[in-house]
Amino acid sequence: MNDFSELENQLRKLRPAPPSPELFSRVERALVDVAEENESADNVVRPDRFRMNWVSLGLGLAAAAALLIVARIESNRPAKKIPAVASLTPAPRDKASAINDQLVPAGFTQVVYNTRDEGLQFANGAVQPMRRVRYQTHETLQWRNAATGASLRVSYPSEQVDLIPVSGQ
Amino acid sequence: MDNVATHEDWKVCFSSLAPGLLLFARQWLRSSADAEDVVQEAFVRFWRRNHNIENRALLYATVRSIALDFLRRDNRRARRESDVVAEIEHSVQPKFTTEDETQRALAAAMDHLPGEQREVVVMKIWNELTFAEIGSVLGISQNTAASRYRYALGALRKNFTPQ
Repeated sequence: MNDFSELENQLRKLRPAPPSPELFSRVERALVDVAEENESADNVVRPDRFRMNWVSLGLGLAAAAALLIVARIESNRPAKKIPAVASLTPAPRDKASAINDQLVPAGFTQVVYNTRDEGLQFANGAVQPMRRVRYQTHETLQWRNAATGASLRVSYPSEQVDLIPVSGQ
Repeated sequence: MDNVATHEDWKVCFSSLAPGLLLFARQWLRSSADAEDVVQEAFVRFWRRNHNIENRALLYATVRSIALDFLRRDNRRARRESDVVAEIEHSVQPKFTTEDETQRALAAAMDHLPGEQREVVVMKIWNELTFAEIGSVLGISQNTAASRYRYALGALRKNFTPQ
């Protein structure tokens, strides 16, 4: 780069034309305008309702979504139908039309797919040992609407523990 | 990186920077009035956004961007930037205050440099930017900026005949 040092010096002696005096006043005016704009913008009192609080908005949306999901689950929940199971008492036959309009219990199955003997245990305060047996089952409830032919089936796993007294031999 | 300058400091900054900024802007603009408009807009924008005045690369990049926007608006044609620069390459001279024939010849030689070399020389000689800063302004590597500078000085020495 030193090859060009003399040329660089000559170039540096060339002075760019200075800006016009008007440019300074124009820039000053523009900066003042900007400052005033900022000041007036700072002085504007904005109602709180126009302020966007993104965190609150996000939380609100999340809560609304959760409510919707819960509402949907509740509406589809078979447990709602369980009162129908409880009212297994057959309705009078002469009210066939009423029966036809609703789902009625049509079946219940329980499949034990695993049994485990967990050994002898003494229950609280008992002097006699008891054998604990755990049953793992799969239960299915079914409802049917005789009028429409629609059916509803609910299956769920369940677990049952039996304590069987053991007699001494 | 706040610009901690007081209200009066802008005059000090602008006084030292304005001649080089105007010369830089004049590369793309036909008149000094247009160049002053561009420099004003760039400086006010830069100052308003509270950029650090030491970040000269950003300041020159702002001038360049506004100048090219100005040029595109002025021409009212959607041309590629390089075409536009090539077209006006020989129609605009950087504005210098020349004192003798030697300086006028040197200024004329500057005018004959390719645009991409001339802008590097303007930033390096009259605005004292480093090659890293020049590369940042132009979106090129530091080595490319240095290379363009060397080519420019070589061409100037070849074309410039001292009076």
